[in-house]
Amino acid sequence: MEIKKIKTIDIIKEKRTVSAEAKQNHKEYNKIKKLILKSLESEAKTIPQIAGETKLPPDVVTFYLMTLRKYGSIETGEIDDMDEYFSYKLKK
Amino acid sequence: MEQQNELSFDTLVIGGGIAGSEAAINLANLNYKVILVEKDLSLGGKMIHLSKVFPTLDCSACITTPKVSETIRHPNITIYTYSEVKNIVKVSEKKFTATLVKKPRYVDEDLCTGCQECEDKCPVVVKDQFQYDLVGRKAVYVPFSIANPRVVNIDIENCILCGLCEKVCPVDAIDFTQEAVDIPLTVKSVIIATGYELFDPTQILRYGFGKFKNVVTAMQMERQLVPTRPYNSVLRPKDGKMPDNIAYILCTGSRDETVGNPICSQICCMYSVKQAQLLLGALPMADVSIYCMDIRAFGKGFCEFYQQAIGMGVEFHKGKVAKITEKENGNLILRYEDIEEGKIKEVEHDLVVLSIGVLPNPDAKLLFNNPVIESDEFNYIKQIDELLCPPETNIEGVYVAGTSSGPMDIPDSILSAGAASACSANYIRN
Repeated sequence: MEIKKIKTIDIIKEKRTVSAEAKQNHKEYNKIKKLILKSLESEAKTIPQIAGETKLPPDVVTFYLMTLRKYGSIETGEIDDMDEYFSYKLKK
Repeated sequence: MEQQNELSFDTLVIGGGIAGSEAAINLANLNYKVILVEKDLSLGGKMIHLSKVFPTLDCSACITTPKVSETIRHPNITIYTYSEVKNIVKVSEKKFTATLVKKPRYVDEDLCTGCQECEDKCPVVVKDQFQYDLVGRKAVYVPFSIANPRVVNIDIENCILCGLCEKVCPVDAIDFTQEAVDIPLTVKSVIIATGYELFDPTQILRYGFGKFKNVVTAMQMERQLVPTRPYNSVLRPKDGKMPDNIAYILCTGSRDETVGNPICSQICCMYSVKQAQLLLGALPMADVSIYCMDIRAFGKGFCEFYQQAIGMGVEFHKGKVAKITEKENGNLILRYEDIEEGKIKEVEHDLVVLSIGVLPNPDAKLLFNNPVIESDEFNYIKQIDELLCPPETNIEGVYVAGTSSGPMDIPDSILSAGAASACSANYIRN
């Protein structure tokens, strides 16, 4: 008979609760992640274009977009004609 | 808190940066048993995060990583990362006692392979302190790609306790039952290599750091210049634009009585000159201007390095920047006094880099219980005989290495660590 291994996460849950700040931060990340990924569904876009469409501040878009890029959800596209802004697209 | 059996070594090295690693290797090569304690998750200190070193422009990681590997693999060196030392007491000649506190990573270091499957699945994102907040990291994370030991850590304060990491770990390394462990320690000598802190530029309100997103620190620029950079290129944090007119403001938090740091940080001029050259390589069409009181190019090859930057087109302006204001498009207006022309000027740049200074690490003074370690008037560890035996402190058997005793560059830190290890060996042997 297979013995079910106890998960240590259940032990720490008895001692520790998740802070309100961590919960809020998690919610915010999920919300922004959805907005950015949805914005890029149609075509590759620059950070100001994503910020304009999602109504998020551009620095917030930069932070989360680069994080999504780091973890492989987004990849870098072409730079615009003025050599100013790169476009970003969903990674297939 | 768990208690463990006492450990005994010849020398305790506190700090696993370039100075601490150098001191530990020197002593270990002389067959002394060394314990190296690093408070952070990886060895390598600040140097492992740098792009290149001045004035040679050698790759910093290419110098640091072999040194770190040598330290980790040395049979005479025992390493504790994510650990701290407290309550150091000199009991008698060549006998110090201390307590080593090993903080929980919530990961079994012997089992973890650093595969990062847990990191992929973790649903939490917070600011990545190893990329100086330019990008996010997960709550379970490998600190950075060349971290050593390459073991994940769980940021329990930001963890939402979803348990996904434990579920996906292929080697069952996640262990949420870990607690801090106190380990009693006995050593014959101590080397302090706790390094320096960086100046917090939010203290200078008129520069707008934190408020104006296109005002960044030199460490943030350093990260943008390394191959493992947070962005795909050098970009403005505010809107991802590729900058083409970059300003450096030297002496941000150094040589400034108003922020309590009157001394020169010794490295800012040269790291700014280095970054300016690297930027011209990364962004060939960009203009780079450096605003300074003067340039201190005192080391071997430094003056030539400075001249090389001028030759590449870097502009140097003699004058202290008084204020930065932000335009709607994110560009920044610098108001400064041009000392050479004797005029107040306003110039526009699209990215400003603050060349922040270095400060003493306050942790160093808290390590000792009895006797107390003395510090100098600038709060660095006091060197009792700076000319004849620079590593000596007020406690016989305790030596200082690297920037714990004052600002210095990498070669000087390594030299200083060599001297500290020689003094330590001499103390133990006699």
